[in-house]
Amino acid sequence: MLRIQNVSKTYPNGTQALKNVSFDIKEGEFMVVIGLSGSGKSTLLRCINRLIDPTEGKILWDDVDVTAAPPAELRQIRRKIGMVFQQFNLVKRSSVMMNVLSGRLGYVNPWTSLIGLWPADEKKRAIEALTRVGIADKAAERADALSGGQQQRVGIARALMQEPKIILADEPVASLDPVLSHSILQYLEQLNKEGITVICSLHFLDLVHRYATRVVALKDGVKVFEGSAQEIDRAKFKEIYGEEAQEVRAASM
Amino acid sequence: MQTSRIIRNALVTALVIAAFVVSYNVTEADFGRLLRNLPNGQELIVAFITPDVTTRDVETRTISIAFPIPCGSAPNESSIPTSGPRLVPSVDCADPRTKFTLEGFDLASDSEVVIRWRLPDERTMTAFRTETDADGYFAYEVEARPISITVDGVASRLEVDTLTPVGDFRPSGTVTEVLDAMFVTIFMALLSTTIATLIAAPLSFLAASNITRRGVIGTAVYYLMRFIFNVLRAYDPLSMALLFAFWLTFGPFPGAMALTVVTIASLGKLFSEAVENIDPGPVEALQATGASPLHTVRYGVLPQVIPDFVSYIVYHWDINVRISTIIGFVGGGGIGYLLNLYINDFKWHQAGTAIWAIVIVVWAMDFLSAEVRKRLT
Repeated sequence: MLRIQNVSKTYPNGTQALKNVSFDIKEGEFMVVIGLSGSGKSTLLRCINRLIDPTEGKILWDDVDVTAAPPAELRQIRRKIGMVFQQFNLVKRSSVMMNVLSGRLGYVNPWTSLIGLWPADEKKRAIEALTRVGIADKAAERADALSGGQQQRVGIARALMQEPKIILADEPVASLDPVLSHSILQYLEQLNKEGITVICSLHFLDLVHRYATRVVALKDGVKVFEGSAQEIDRAKFKEIYGEEAQEVRAASM
Repeated sequence: MQTSRIIRNALVTALVIAAFVVSYNVTEADFGRLLRNLPNGQELIVAFITPDVTTRDVETRTISIAFPIPCGSAPNESSIPTSGPRLVPSVDCADPRTKFTLEGFDLASDSEVVIRWRLPDERTMTAFRTETDADGYFAYEVEARPISITVDGVASRLEVDTLTPVGDFRPSGTVTEVLDAMFVTIFMALLSTTIATLIAAPLSFLAASNITRRGVIGTAVYYLMRFIFNVLRAYDPLSMALLFAFWLTFGPFPGAMALTVVTIASLGKLFSEAVENIDPGPVEALQATGASPLHTVRYGVLPQVIPDFVSYIVYHWDINVRISTIIGFVGGGGIGYLLNLYINDFKWHQAGTAIWAIVIVVWAMDFLSAEVRKRLT
């Protein structure tokens, strides 16, 4: 159970990215965050694992205050929260295998991993993770030799290495060809069904309808909607995205 | 508006012209002298482009005659043969400061000729160098020097060596010397580049704003490292070499130390800029997995910067070979030191050999570093 309590974030340049945002996420939910670019979706997701420190408010995970955790405890929390990024954030020059293994850095012996030694069972775990996303045969290739969709699957495999309880997915399909959107989201949906809580920001409303168990909408850093995807009708959509917005559908497959 | 722009442009133009005039005067530029004085430079230019690379064994034959100065102070050379190798002066004896012609007949052909005085006390004084023609003949105008006057009835002798190359060509002693010195230079540059890399690589992360500049301590460390690199960079290699030469006495080691310090500063700056230019995405991703800062650098930053680092290292090795040539002049050892010795001894052909070696090695290093960098992208 994750509680976002009155979270605000003001950047040093004065931009107010989040304004007093509160909501709860129950275990096992597929929570989708929607809103325009710049509405604060990325900031919100990054506040949960504190890649960004909120200026005000608290985030509680099973009654542990994430926002107050000292560095060592924060790393313990982070390794249970996988993260998938819009730009995949792989080390392009490293092998797929090395990128996936690096998801395990929170667990393995810090000294041996520092000199690049990985135990055989971790390598086996990495191959299993790659098998789950269907690209075990690419393990030895350089990350930048893969297509965008494949790179995002490597990103998911890296998150899987963390044995996460939560996966934060920041626009996981926004950099991909729309026809690939479902293939990536289906992997997340599968993980969600296995009990991992997913918090995902998305752009396309049809994807929201298809995957979200619950939706939170942000507009200019303020929460303007919380509820099920079905509750978002045309009027609500205009309210979230503004009068000029037109609904765009991801290519149906 | 329009007039102020014209005035401004005129002012700028005037300033540029003034600056040029000043620089022309300060450097005492006289381009005509380049051509007028060409004959002065000719010998050196020719020597520099005709290196001393091969040698042959030399057979030396010596022949001499007594030559009394002044006339009557000692017996003349008893009898000059009319055939076979012989020296024939135009006069049998001479007064001091008078000139005469010395001819040689039937000597070794096409050979270098060294003419010298052997004084009564057996000291020798080399007078001239010339060459024999295909018939083994030479003629040279010699002055009866006051120093060569007869002492106690013993006349000075005119002595002539003919130096005839025989046998096969083989690498000259200069080539061996130059290769040895070049070897020292290349590895001196390698040593200093290696040590500098080992020190600069870790420090460069401290001087990278995206790694270090967090909180008060981080910011302080960042600015301190930047400051150190900048101060070290302000010292040019030559003064650094002088400093170490005084500290550690002369030789390749102080030269290598000077290079090391200069390279630390330069690589430190280049490395830290490479670190600052990485894609921050993977770093963020690794932080999100719960990896420690050290592991984030190891797995998120290092793989991204290694190609840049390697390319800078090779490039700097190349630079250091060139710099170590220069600092060799102030006693840093290696090829620069040898070149300086040759020049001080007026051994122009040998200096030419060293210069050719430097040109070839610098070209090769440049080629190598370009190739390595091409492969790394």
